[in-house]
Amino acid sequence: MVRLLAVGVSHRTAPVELRECVDFAKDGVDAALAALAERAVAREIVVLSTCNRAEIYGVAETDTAADALGRFISEYHQVAHETLRPHLFVHRGAEAATHLFRVAAGLDSLVVGEPQILGQVKDAYAAASALKHTGALTNRLFSSAFTVGKRVRSETGLGEGAVSVSYAAISLAKKIFGDLTGLDVLILGAGEMAELTGVHLRAQHVKQLTIASRTLSTAQTLAKALNGRAVAWSSLSDALSAADIVVTATGAAEPVLTRARLEEVMRPRRSRPLFVIDIAVPRDVEASAGDLDQVFLYNIDDLRTIVQENLARRTAELQRADDIVREEVERFSAWMQSREVVPTLVALRQRFESIRQSELHRLESKLAGLPPEARARVDEITHLIVEKLLLTPTEQLKALSDESTVIAYADALNRLFSLVDEKSKSDGSQPQNVSS
Amino acid sequence: MLGWLPLVFYAAAAAAYIAHFGKRDPRVGRVASSLLAGGVLAHTFVIGMQTVQAGYAPLVGTTAAISAFVWLLGLAYLYVELTTDERTMGAFVTVLLAVLAVLPALHASDVEPRPELLRSPLFTLHVLSLLFAYASFALAFVLGVTYVLLFKEIKAKHLGFFYTRLPSLQVLDLMNGRAIIVGWLFLTCGLVVGGIWATQIHSSPDPHAQAMSVADPKILVALLCWGMYSFALFARRAIGWSGRRAAWLSAIGFVIVLLNFVPVGYFLTRSHNF
Repeated sequence: MVRLLAVGVSHRTAPVELRECVDFAKDGVDAALAALAERAVAREIVVLSTCNRAEIYGVAETDTAADALGRFISEYHQVAHETLRPHLFVHRGAEAATHLFRVAAGLDSLVVGEPQILGQVKDAYAAASALKHTGALTNRLFSSAFTVGKRVRSETGLGEGAVSVSYAAISLAKKIFGDLTGLDVLILGAGEMAELTGVHLRAQHVKQLTIASRTLSTAQTLAKALNGRAVAWSSLSDALSAADIVVTATGAAEPVLTRARLEEVMRPRRSRPLFVIDIAVPRDVEASAGDLDQVFLYNIDDLRTIVQENLARRTAELQRADDIVREEVERFSAWMQSREVVPTLVALRQRFESIRQSELHRLESKLAGLPPEARARVDEITHLIVEKLLLTPTEQLKALSDESTVIAYADALNRLFSLVDEKSKSDGSQPQNVSS
Repeated sequence: MLGWLPLVFYAAAAAAYIAHFGKRDPRVGRVASSLLAGGVLAHTFVIGMQTVQAGYAPLVGTTAAISAFVWLLGLAYLYVELTTDERTMGAFVTVLLAVLAVLPALHASDVEPRPELLRSPLFTLHVLSLLFAYASFALAFVLGVTYVLLFKEIKAKHLGFFYTRLPSLQVLDLMNGRAIIVGWLFLTCGLVVGGIWATQIHSSPDPHAQAMSVADPKILVALLCWGMYSFALFARRAIGWSGRRAAWLSAIGFVIVLLNFVPVGYFLTRSHNF
């Protein structure tokens, strides 16, 4: 009986110190795959290794394989198995599929819905596939997992909404301006926060980064680091009129940008919007400036609120994502079961047919006297009898939905008709499906 | 019976687009697009049948004009959707289609007879360019409305429903501007052709031809419309009225268009009540 297995540790089962010890990425996943293949524990293997998880997906014939895979993890990383064992999870069959699908969908991630994990699952599969460690079962399993990941992303809001302050600011800017590449960004202040925001904005390929600070030299230092330009505090008005996005992060105790000042800046701009991000505490921009027509003013608390709301919304989408996982697991399980039952059915059919053929052969001498039409009739009738006999059991077997019943029935048929020989004759390439 | 088919499709498409807007399931989106395409196709068939039966394009009378307008707007929107891969506007456009398609559906069987007066290629050109202009203005209106909705959400710092569904303010504004330009060009063309045609038929004894003057409500409101959109174009270019102001202008403009279509077209005009 083939078994799909998932064995490993994740941030849910093991502390970070332990996860660090069993990180397959250290020596490369390829090396781990090679070492595991050498042990011949499982015939299809995929190793998934991220900073939050070290997992092995395998297809094996024996149930002891799960334990062997666990031992492999501890021995490969030279960790005492007694230390690792309490933190290991083992999933079998449909449960293993459920686990992988949840992982691929980002449901098992530290930050629920984070999008990187799907790429990591794809990489893990690609690595195993390139070294020919995957097979029919893992191919299907992982392609279903990719489907789950894609569906969860497109059909639910699980991956949506920024969950960090800087990303929230950038996604707001994108919602206002569309593309950020042609924009002028002005940063007021040259402290750590200013630098951090500058780095994020630089990564968005904005056209121009301008830094203004009370002391020109500090502005110049930061401008150099960010590949931008520094302006003196006295020419702030010009810089403000040119800017599309203004980030304020000075340490000033009083507002640097008053409503009156911004009103003056806005007048010649007509309808060109200005996005002001005030990340300073105490605030650098007078709150009432946000009432100006084309000024979008967000302070650090506003951005934090957005992040909180997005996190809450992600949680609300969990149910829908879970539904998708369940749906795909059902589909995958049905496929797995039909795969288990098909070889048995084929073998049963072949057994019946071979009986028919041998009987016809045995009666050859008696049938020899018949005219050709009558012989054809005999052949046809015997064939029909075989078909009729097989019809009901075939339908019944295919209709089974419970995994253990399928196994029990297949097993019973194998024994009753001793189908082992038939199967090895019919598909030598495929390993035995029979546990005897 | 057949006349109801486009309306049924448009209404179903509107429901599907709204469902897609709410749930953002791409499969629902594809269903919505297919339903709309089906509606436009059925509508093409209905108009085609009417043309064959009557021997001329069914553009006579307000009902027929609304039908042709719905058909053009459906086509124009499908083109925009295909080229921009942006389905969110569909929810707004198809609702408009479904509402406007009710009138033609009620009167689908009877194609109005075409008076002697209207047997001119200029008439067909006049009606088609104006209807296309109105379809563009309808799109501009929808873009304007969505701009304002998104603007309000961002301004109020309450990012929710529209924030996650609409493209950026910049894109909405840009598309609004383009729709107004296209609409204005066709409006101008339609009015000029209409003017030329009116002078040609001026000697006709038909009372319609006699009523063709700037004082007629339909013509007056059409000119008002032209003035409105010309101002919108001018305001955007010369005094920088883009964004929210442009959105409001396109909303007011489209209200005038609708006004000219239904109440004026049905009850008030003496020159255009064919």
